[in-house]
Amino acid sequence: MDKDSARTREALLELKDVTFSAGAVLILKPVSLALRRGVMTGVIGPNGSGKSSLVRLIARQQKPSSGEIRLAGRPLDDFRDRELAREIAYLPQFTPPAEGMTVRELVALGRFPWHGALGRFGPQDAAKVESALERTDLSGLADRLVDSLSGGERQRAWLAMMLAQDTSCLILDEPTSALDIAHQAEMLALVHMLTREHELSALVVLHDINMAARYCDELIAIKDGEVVARGAPQVIVEPETLGKLYGLPMGILPHPGTGQPLSFVS
Amino acid sequence: MSGRRIILPWVGLGILAAALFLFQVYIAWPNGRDPVSAHLQSVILEYAVLPRAAVAILAGAALGLAGLLLQRVLRNALAEPSTLGISAGAQLAMAVATLYAPMLMAWSVSLVAFAGGIAAVAIVLALTWRRGLEPVSVVLAGMMIALTANAASAALILANGDYLFSLFIWGGGSLVQQSWDPTIVIASRLAVGLAAALLLLRPLAILGLDDASARSLGVALHASRLAIVALAVWIATTVAAEVGVVGFVGLAAPALAALSGARTLGQRIVAAPLIGAILLWATDGLVQLTAGVSGERLPTGAATALLGGPLLLWILPRLRMMEWPMLARTIVVSHRAARPAVLLSLAVIGLVFALIAALLAGNGPDGWFLANGDLLADLAHWRLPRILVAAASGTMLAAAGVMIQRLTGNPLASPEILGVGAGSGAGLAVVLLVSASAGLAWQIGGAMAGALGALLIILTIAARGRFGPERLLLGGVATGAVASAIVTAVIAMGTSQSYVLLAWLTGSTSQADFGQAAIAFAFMAPLVGASLFFSRWLDILPLGTEAARSLGIPLAAARLSVIMTTALLTAIAALFVGPLSFIGLIAPHLARLLGLGRARHHLIGAMMIGATLMVVSDWLARMVAFPYQLPVGLTASMIGGPYLIYLLSKGVAARG
Repeated sequence: MDKDSARTREALLELKDVTFSAGAVLILKPVSLALRRGVMTGVIGPNGSGKSSLVRLIARQQKPSSGEIRLAGRPLDDFRDRELAREIAYLPQFTPPAEGMTVRELVALGRFPWHGALGRFGPQDAAKVESALERTDLSGLADRLVDSLSGGERQRAWLAMMLAQDTSCLILDEPTSALDIAHQAEMLALVHMLTREHELSALVVLHDINMAARYCDELIAIKDGEVVARGAPQVIVEPETLGKLYGLPMGILPHPGTGQPLSFVS
Repeated sequence: MSGRRIILPWVGLGILAAALFLFQVYIAWPNGRDPVSAHLQSVILEYAVLPRAAVAILAGAALGLAGLLLQRVLRNALAEPSTLGISAGAQLAMAVATLYAPMLMAWSVSLVAFAGGIAAVAIVLALTWRRGLEPVSVVLAGMMIALTANAASAALILANGDYLFSLFIWGGGSLVQQSWDPTIVIASRLAVGLAAALLLLRPLAILGLDDASARSLGVALHASRLAIVALAVWIATTVAAEVGVVGFVGLAAPALAALSGARTLGQRIVAAPLIGAILLWATDGLVQLTAGVSGERLPTGAATALLGGPLLLWILPRLRMMEWPMLARTIVVSHRAARPAVLLSLAVIGLVFALIAALLAGNGPDGWFLANGDLLADLAHWRLPRILVAAASGTMLAAAGVMIQRLTGNPLASPEILGVGAGSGAGLAVVLLVSASAGLAWQIGGAMAGALGALLIILTIAARGRFGPERLLLGGVATGAVASAIVTAVIAMGTSQSYVLLAWLTGSTSQADFGQAAIAFAFMAPLVGASLFFSRWLDILPLGTEAARSLGIPLAAARLSVIMTTALLTAIAALFVGPLSFIGLIAPHLARLLGLGRARHHLIGAMMIGATLMVVSDWLARMVAFPYQLPVGLTASMIGGPYLIYLLSKGVAARG
């Protein structure tokens, strides 16, 4: 992968006045955003604020009601299905059971955007699958059935599938909701590391503000379908912003080790 | 859902029904000059015209109430007497009782019908208990029970000829009356049902919530749920015993009540029976109006299904499906074969062995023998086409089954359920209706047209992007119900065509010849080839819409091609072995059980197993009752049904 610093600075994804409504209900008020390569962005906010809707629009799981989303300068609508799948990988909030499938087979499905329905699964595809398995530390489990894995391992298998997809953008909708705290940390650290190393742009919906602040480079706070704050964790995680976001008095403490802000309900 | 009330259309429809009724009264009004004919006319008015209207109103109300109760306690917007197999079960019970225990019928027809209906519901609930009575599975199981019961009834009628034929006319749901007795019976049950429903208003309201909340609110969950189901079955089977199978009123009335703005349960308990009464009264009025020309041929029950099916298709996108989290999801660790190639070779060898055995082994006047030499040459002429047709049909159904199960991610989905098989039956029925002596080419053409018609409806549903696979299945159920209503209506005419259709319904290959075998293979080859091309899609599609879209699958195109291929495979196979066999359900399961997990292996394995099962069924159909022959479709479902029940009751239903 070429390291062009100019490329890093320009926006990979741009949203311009994007809205989304279901019927007469406006779920997302006009949002304009830009996401860069090599940056892990966290999306936080209360339940029903429109976090999931926002990332689903970017993953083209839903079409915006108005406004435009551009990927590398091109409108998202211009991309063909597989072409888009080579650029954006999306992990839904609830991963379906992959019954009867081995981990390697699940990860290999990530190569579909590259070889299509009839193309050959070549040595390059196999290499990408193996490297995705290695990076997620799943090589030892590759021939196990996905059903037989623990929750954390299964989540890693899905992440491996996204990596095999070899995209420039990862979108994860609450990837840690089913995980215990150790696996949450492990998963987010992995995404963070991948974002750095491969100059990916990652967009992650998270519930836990402290986890978000610990691993994300940047946070977007959404309330009632509106972006209310955006910036580095230190800027967002402060009593006034959080109080407004959740409608609850919140306090902040510095992390004893790293000095990062930790939030609590006061 | 909007809060406005829609009452005006119902008032209008009620006035229409009343006007139609007054027209009938006007026609029947005694105006004869001589006292004898005047007296006769007044008898007709008093004992035919008036009770018929009363029965229509009361039966409609009773079905509306039964549907509402079932939908409420099962939290299933599609539950009603016919989708749960209650009506078909009642019909089968009455056929069996008429043949083997006539005194039971003399004693209490409605008790026999109730026994059949409650047995059907019990099987459906038992089958889906482990899946937490999840609505789509409940309806699929109900349709399977209904199809099986119908095929068994058809076989009984075929075997016993005219003796039972009146039962099939009954199956159409005729409201013709000769006395006030049915009116009184239905009225009494309706009164009891309404009183019970009002008494149970509070538990009913709570049962509409999820299990956990209902239990935490102190409702004796299972006991009250089963009691209400039994009450609904009792009301519905009373109607079935008195006037026959009247489809869709039980489904449509509560749905229309909700769409018309009846929000609370109390409002719906009033509105649903009222709407049901208006619907059936108006339909019956229209049926009587058309009957004037050529005598009464279309049973009202079939007419309600004809009108109700399209209605259901229209309601479907407007209906809010009740939320049903998979509470009882058990994670099943499936097993995978280490060397699928070996397994597949074994499956091929098994098929070849079955083919040879079916060709050679047989029962004759002198007992069992293996044919060889000249005898084989003679017998092959008779046996080979059947065996080939059976093998091809089994292959096609299995391929269709794998595809539909993977597309919908539901292990209970099967091609029978798509309504395509029933659609080809409707096409066949129409061809036979136009010309009783239509040749095979016309019959095939009609069946294909019917299947394509059903297919087009399903595709229109699927093309609406918001439709998930579940709604597709339900659309298929609705389409199948309409098509079955057409078949039932034609059968109920009681002409010679009826027997051709009855034979088709049971799935008979006894008339297969080399021409048919050639046709079967000519269609099978390209369609099965296409299904193998889809195998990468079929690997991904079970993972659900979001995952498939994010991997770049052209969802609309992929779904369309898979559905189209599935429907064509089903249509061709249904033409030869009837609308029901369970092969499309079981073969994919068995292949999965053997450890064939990848779509390509799964497809090939299931096709081999399906062909083998069908060849074995065909052989059994020829041998079990020798020298008589059983219909192969029914034989296959007799093998498949128990296996299915075993499988589901163990709860090892792995997701497609």
